[in-house]
Amino acid sequence: MTGNMEAKLAGLRDHARDIRRNALRALHAAGSGHVGGSLSAADLLAALYFHHLRLRPHEPDWAGRDRFVLSKGHANAALAAVLAQAGFFSEDALDTFYGYESSLGMHPDIKVPGVEMSTGGLGHGLSVGIGMALGARLQGLDFRTIVMVGDGELQEGSNWEAAMSATHLGLAGLTAIVDYNKIQQSGNVGEMLDLEPLADKWRAFGWAVREIDGHDMAEVVDALDALPYDTRRPSVIVAHTVKGKGLSFAEGTYLWHSNMVTDEIYAKAMAELGESA
Amino acid sequence: MSTSNPGSTAPAWVSAAANQSRLAFGLAVTELAGRDASVVAIGADTLDLLGLRKMMERHPERVIDVGIAEQNAMGVASGLATTGMRPFVCGYAPFITARSMEQLRNDVAYARQRVVIGAAASGISLGVSGATHHALEDLAVTRSMPGMTVVVPADAHQAWHATLATDDVDGPVYIRLGGRVEEAVATPVEGPIRIGRADRLHDGNDVTVIACGVLVAPALEAARSLGKDGIGVRVLNMHTIKPLDREAVLAAAAETRGIVTAEEHYVTGGLGGAVAELLAVEHPTRMRMVAMPDENSVVGPTPKVRARYGMSAESIVAACRALVGG
Repeated sequence: MTGNMEAKLAGLRDHARDIRRNALRALHAAGSGHVGGSLSAADLLAALYFHHLRLRPHEPDWAGRDRFVLSKGHANAALAAVLAQAGFFSEDALDTFYGYESSLGMHPDIKVPGVEMSTGGLGHGLSVGIGMALGARLQGLDFRTIVMVGDGELQEGSNWEAAMSATHLGLAGLTAIVDYNKIQQSGNVGEMLDLEPLADKWRAFGWAVREIDGHDMAEVVDALDALPYDTRRPSVIVAHTVKGKGLSFAEGTYLWHSNMVTDEIYAKAMAELGESA
Repeated sequence: MSTSNPGSTAPAWVSAAANQSRLAFGLAVTELAGRDASVVAIGADTLDLLGLRKMMERHPERVIDVGIAEQNAMGVASGLATTGMRPFVCGYAPFITARSMEQLRNDVAYARQRVVIGAAASGISLGVSGATHHALEDLAVTRSMPGMTVVVPADAHQAWHATLATDDVDGPVYIRLGGRVEEAVATPVEGPIRIGRADRLHDGNDVTVIACGVLVAPALEAARSLGKDGIGVRVLNMHTIKPLDREAVLAAAAETRGIVTAEEHYVTGGLGGAVAELLAVEHPTRMRMVAMPDENSVVGPTPKVRARYGMSAESIVAACRALVGG
């Protein structure tokens, strides 16, 4: 690996740590929220927003921008964090999370600069992403569309309507990323309604699949750089992640899907995550 | 026999629509697609139901039938709209409202996307298909969503004009259409339609019938019948359920002795409900509602099923008489 790449990865890891810190800042301001699924997605979001996506944060409606849809909308603390860090709005806005009439609530709202679709109801984002990718193709635009879905979310049947459709339409401009943290609200995904064999399911639906460790920044960057994996069909990155990644007390337990973020928890979290660079 | 031939001067779409609002909608979308490169039709195995074959010939890349997958159809439409395209979702009323209601609510209405939904086979227009295929709650569902425009054309002519009129609506629009049955003509070929403005089709100051969709023609029939007995019936074609023409309703309440609403929809939440919600607060008025009662519909030929539940000119006459005491 070149020195440049090492420095790049180190920078992205710093961004990921800041996403975690800022997500906790937002959830602390809120008093509670979806810690686990925000932290599992942080490394993926860092690579997307600071390496992969072509965006103009000061021109959020630029027609040529890449589209990112957070279908697992309950991880909005992480999305708000990365959008603020990327410059779509001030980081101070994170302190309004869950506030009365705030544009930053538990779930993303399209009226927020940088948010491409209001999400929260699960199983919506992939179809919306198909529409965006079709819009690019019909208008001769070269923007790419990436949809992040949760694993528990994939229990919603609408995703599989979309999965069939994206292949049938040959949408190479569409990529799905599964934040496969193995835990949903009430317990383990495998015990609730098992998705396995998940990669094979996507293959059977005609998608070009790559499986990665969603916390290994080199693997994440490599997987994004290699897109699309096929020029005639959509790609999916099955990213194996850890729910609550980065906080010892939150990792791997459904209790931190959503929980209280008290002053004490927040102080503990900041200590574990380390100072911003 | 007349020697004149009105068909020779009528626009081509009139005969192609064959007095079926669902076909008029598809023809109008095709017309719009010819004018506007951003117009795209999204089907759910509904190419023939919504009359999209001509558009497929002319603009094949802009007719996307996603198959029997309404949730996907609605989400795809929303995504397309975010990129500046103008999607027209073409579905079965019972499925495109109920099955994909969450996508309609979140991705289209809440996300404020400019998506038009053409919903064919509404009401009990598919009589023999039975209650699973009767859409009698679609107006309640769609008009309860903030920002929606909800239109019920009275016939094929009005369906054509309503579809073209979506050019001027900056937001989601639900257009309720009929099934594979001919609809009575109730409005002129040339329209026009003003979304949100009721049309007064018959004058009278004793009682008002506010009707929509396939109940407009029976409302006119009832008005003519009552006129012979000296009862003056005002008939409003309330083609736009939302936003409701408040002025027309309040004027009717002030100027006539009672209001009868008539629609092919459950009594819960449809046109009658919309009128009652307004009048209960602004101008309490005696009302009768000609609509589907709160029960599951039977199987049968559409006219017979409609009549069984009182969605007919006879019921409108009886309701008017009850209000004027005649």
